Amino acid sequence: MRLANLSFRYARRAPWVLRDVDLHLPPGTVAEITGRNGAGKSTLLRLLAGVTPPTRGRITDRPEVVGYAPEIFPVEQPFTVLAYLTRMAAIRGLRPAVIDPWVDRLGMAALLDVPLADLSKGSAHKVGLAQALLAPPGLLILDEPFSGLDAQARAELPRIVADVAAAGGVVVVSDHQSGLAGYPGIRHLHVGDATVQPADAVAAAVDSSPASGTVVIEITVDAADAEAVAGKLRAEGYQPVLRTAEAAMPGRPMPEGREEPLPAGQAEPAGPGAPATPGAHDAGEDR
Amino acid sequence: MRPALSLTYFKITAYLRSHRVILPFGGLLVVMAILYSVRVNVGQELPSYADSAALLVPVFAWAARGLLDAEPDVQRLLSITAVGRPGREVASGLLAAVALNAALALVALVVPLAIGFSATPGPQALLGGLALHLLSLLTGTAIGALTSRPILPDPAVAALTLLGGYAGILLLSLVPVTWLTVPIISWMRAAGQGDFLGRSLPGLAGATLFWCAVALFAYTRLRRTRP
Repeated sequence: MRLANLSFRYARRAPWVLRDVDLHLPPGTVAEITGRNGAGKSTLLRLLAGVTPPTRGRITDRPEVVGYAPEIFPVEQPFTVLAYLTRMAAIRGLRPAVIDPWVDRLGMAALLDVPLADLSKGSAHKVGLAQALLAPPGLLILDEPFSGLDAQARAELPRIVADVAAAGGVVVVSDHQSGLAGYPGIRHLHVGDATVQPADAVAAAVDSSPASGTVVIEITVDAADAEAVAGKLRAEGYQPVLRTAEAAMPGRPMPEGREEPLPAGQAEPAGPGAPATPGAHDAGEDR
Repeated sequence: MRPALSLTYFKITAYLRSHRVILPFGGLLVVMAILYSVRVNVGQELPSYADSAALLVPVFAWAARGLLDAEPDVQRLLSITAVGRPGREVASGLLAAVALNAALALVALVVPLAIGFSATPGPQALLGGLALHLLSLLTGTAIGALTSRPILPDPAVAALTLLGGYAGILLLSLVPVTWLTVPIISWMRAAGQGDFLGRSLPGLAGATLFWCAVALFAYTRLRRTRP
C-alpha cells in the first residue's frame, strides 16, 4: 500500500491537514501514528481506510478488505450487540458464525444481548474492534484501540495485531496509551505540521538527552530577523544563543555564545534550566 | 450486490427501530384524511391521485432524510469499510429510501381504494395514479437526500431547505414551462384532462426524471467529499 503526494484539507481555503505525504506500507507492516491532538492522526487513518477521499494525490494497492475501529464507537443504534455484529457480518457477506472467535478473544460473551445504547465505554470499544475484525483484514485501522479496554482485551489486542500482520495484513494504529510499546518491529510515524515522517529520529533525540530531559532545537532564521526571534524566545523564558551558520556546521569548533545578529545566523534556544553552553547536545532535529 | 442489499436492509431496520418513521407516516395519514374525508366522485379518481402525489412530495422527502440520517456519522464510515466502497454505501442509502417511500406510496394508492373512492376506478386511473406516485416518491427522495446530514449538517437549515425547496418547486412549476423544474402543478392540471397516460404523462415524466437525475447526481457527487 502506497501513499503518493497525498494532501488533504476540509475546504478549499482551509489549511492543509496533510500535505504531499509519501508513505509505503508493505504487507506485514505494523505502524503506530503519533502526534499532538488535532495534528491529523484520525484524518490520516480515515484516508488510509478509504472512507475519506484525498484532496490531492492517491493511495494505491489498498487491500480489498479493510477493518476500521473508530476511536468512539457509535452506540446510538437500535440493536443489541449480537444483532449489530450479525448485520455487519452480513454486509461483509459472512455468516454469523464469524462473530464467535471475537466474542471469546475480546471477552464479549456477557454483552451479546445488551443493547448498544447500554454499553459502557470499554464494552462499546470491544464491539468496534470486533466489527473491524469479522473478515480477516488486509488493512486494519485502529484509532485509539486500547481506550477503556479491560485487562483481558488489552492483553489480547497485541496478539490480534500480530496475527493480522503475520497473515500479510497492514496494521495502522493511533495510540496515546502506548499499548503496543515494545511491539517488535513496529514502525513509528509522527504526524505534525501537515507531514508524516518517521518518529524514530525524534524519539532517539529525546532518548539520548541527559537526565534533565532537555534537547537543543536549531532554528535557521534570516539574519535580519535573528534578534527579533531571539527576543520572542527570551520572553518565553528560554535562553537563545546566536551563532553563524558556519559556526554551527558539524566538525567545526563552536564559538562561545553571543547575542548579536549575524549573516545567515542560527538561533539556538534552550529551555529554562538547560545548559547555557550552546551545542552541548545537538539533536540535529527541527521541532 | 449482496453486501449492498444487506446494507440496505440494515439501514431500513435501523430506521424503523428508531421510530423515526412515525413522523412521515403521520404526515401521510393527514394527507389521506384531507383528501378522502369526502368520497371522491366517479371519474375524479385520477385528479385525486395527482393531488395526493403532489402533497406527498414533502412527506417522501422527510422520510428519505430521516432514513439517511438515522445512522450515526461514524457508523456510516464503518458501513463504507464493511461494504467495500463509498459508492456502495451511497447507493444502499438511496435504495433504502426509495424502498421506504415505495411502501408509503403503496399505502397512498390503496387507502382511497378502500375508503376514498365512490367506485373502483378503471385501469387508466390506477396506472396514472401509480405513475404519479412513482414520480412523487423519486422527487421526495431526491430532496430528502440533498437535505440529509452529510450535505446539510445543521438540522434547522436542512428542515428549512427541505420545505423551502418544495415550496420553490411548487412556485416555479406554476410557470407554464414544463422543463423549468419538477412540474408538480402540471401533474395536477394534466390529470384533470383527457388521455393523461398517452398525451401528458411522457412529457411530465421526462421532466421529472431529468430533474431527479440531476439532484441525485449532485447528491452522489457531494457525498464523494462528504462521507
